[in-house]
Amino acid sequence: METLALYVPRLLEKKENFAPGHRACSGCGEALAVRMVMKALGKNVIVVMATGCMEIISTQLPYTSWEVPWIHTLFENTAAVASGVVAGREALTRKGKASSRTKVVAMAGDGATADIGVQALSGALERGHDFTYICFDNEAYMNTGIQRSSATPFGAATTTQPVGKISMGQNTWKKDMPAIAVAHNIPYVATASPSYPFDLMNKVKKARDIEGPAYLHILSVCPTGWRTPSDLSVRIGRLAVETGVFPLYEVENGKYTLNIDPPQLRSVEDYLKLQGRFKHLTPEMIKEIQEKVEAKYAELVEKVLFYDGF
Amino acid sequence: MVELIIDGQKVEVEEGATILEAADKLNIAIPTLCYHENLTPFGACRVCTVEVVVDGVSSLTTACNCPVEQGMEVRTVSERALEARMLAVELLLAKCPGSEAIRSLARDMGIEEPRVELETEGCILCGLCVRTCQELVGVGALRLVDRGLDRDVKETFVEASTDKCIGCGSCAYICPTSFIKLEETGDTRTVWDRVFKLKKCQVCGNYWAPEAQLEYIRKTCNLPSDFFDVCPNCK
Repeated sequence: METLALYVPRLLEKKENFAPGHRACSGCGEALAVRMVMKALGKNVIVVMATGCMEIISTQLPYTSWEVPWIHTLFENTAAVASGVVAGREALTRKGKASSRTKVVAMAGDGATADIGVQALSGALERGHDFTYICFDNEAYMNTGIQRSSATPFGAATTTQPVGKISMGQNTWKKDMPAIAVAHNIPYVATASPSYPFDLMNKVKKARDIEGPAYLHILSVCPTGWRTPSDLSVRIGRLAVETGVFPLYEVENGKYTLNIDPPQLRSVEDYLKLQGRFKHLTPEMIKEIQEKVEAKYAELVEKVLFYDGF
Repeated sequence: MVELIIDGQKVEVEEGATILEAADKLNIAIPTLCYHENLTPFGACRVCTVEVVVDGVSSLTTACNCPVEQGMEVRTVSERALEARMLAVELLLAKCPGSEAIRSLARDMGIEEPRVELETEGCILCGLCVRTCQELVGVGALRLVDRGLDRDVKETFVEASTDKCIGCGSCAYICPTSFIKLEETGDTRTVWDRVFKLKKCQVCGNYWAPEAQLEYIRKTCNLPSDFFDVCPNCK
């Protein structure tokens, strides 16, 4: 799909449902991801959004970037509110006043997904509501000043895990949120990146059309928090995939597919060296990260091959 | 500006706008299949059929290519419009029962199985590929031949061997019935039964675009001969 990218982009929808003029930092990968997600979702959608960067930058009264119905929720109850909206839609559908074609999409950051909102999410996934949950993962609480979250990768410097004599940045490994979603046996789980726009939009469309809960995990490069130049967001997103740090895959009813499969993984150093949050890493730590990434990637490839066998 | 009424709601749009655009302004959804906002409307599939009343005379028309008129009254969900639309979708479904795009349209209208005999032809002659090739890519390698029942979509390079196709794959992407097949294996891409060699990036070694397409862009934009040796990723 990505090799089609020269003329095919001209066929994409021109209408923006996430309007420009919002207050995201320059080079924000998350705003780019939201824009593509909204392009793919279309107009007939209700968005439930947790507190976070995207809520702050796009809804400054009296302005809004949202061209669709939009509800703000707290960190912890995004999935719960989304399930309520689904229940409401179904009640109105029974009365003939709404249609199940109106899709419900919950959006949240990594903090609202992996830390604070994980119980509400788990409940909603388990109950099997017909909604899509999209996590925009920028790997820390960027909105409040780069505090660590459980999605922050090993070694990354944050304001609560600073680099110094005692701490060398984040000392735990990133929480594997897509795997947690897969464990709920839901119909669709996928990872995506705005650096691969077609792949992302296809996955959003798939998640939207599938009946039952769908979970999408999108890596959003954050120039402010990752200490990267703002013109490199798309490249860093690609490097994350090419190095195997953030592989793009989807899980349909338990069947794993690897969407972007580079012939050979690049060294993680290519990805780490561009980011200020990793600049203190010693060669030993980089080696440790490399080994972990390779092991995780091999695990994923094994799952893909396992299901290919059937 | 032209004022018209759609489903009882007044709307004002610019002169020359189509009924579909006016309805979109009111958030009234009219189903479409052969319509694409970046291409000229074609009116081939009849899925967007609506009832139009002008000076008390009611008629059926396609919303995608019918320009609005002052005082026009449009009914998108009248019995007559819905009946015509359902028939169009039912016939499309019979022609191409495997297409997800058509099946979802049919589901939305409450059609499970068409009442007529099924065909498995695949192409519904919506003209999306032809228009994309002509208007967006600018190559014009595809065209519709003949009229009426004999109408067919053809590549000119098959007919006149002018070698126009550059293998960009836009037609396969837009095809709503997956009639146009695109396959990629290793360093080749096959589309319209023609094999295109893919260009290898000199840095990462990935195959990233057909050579014929890059050559076409290079010529159109007058770029140096080594411009595409490295893929956009590695540049």
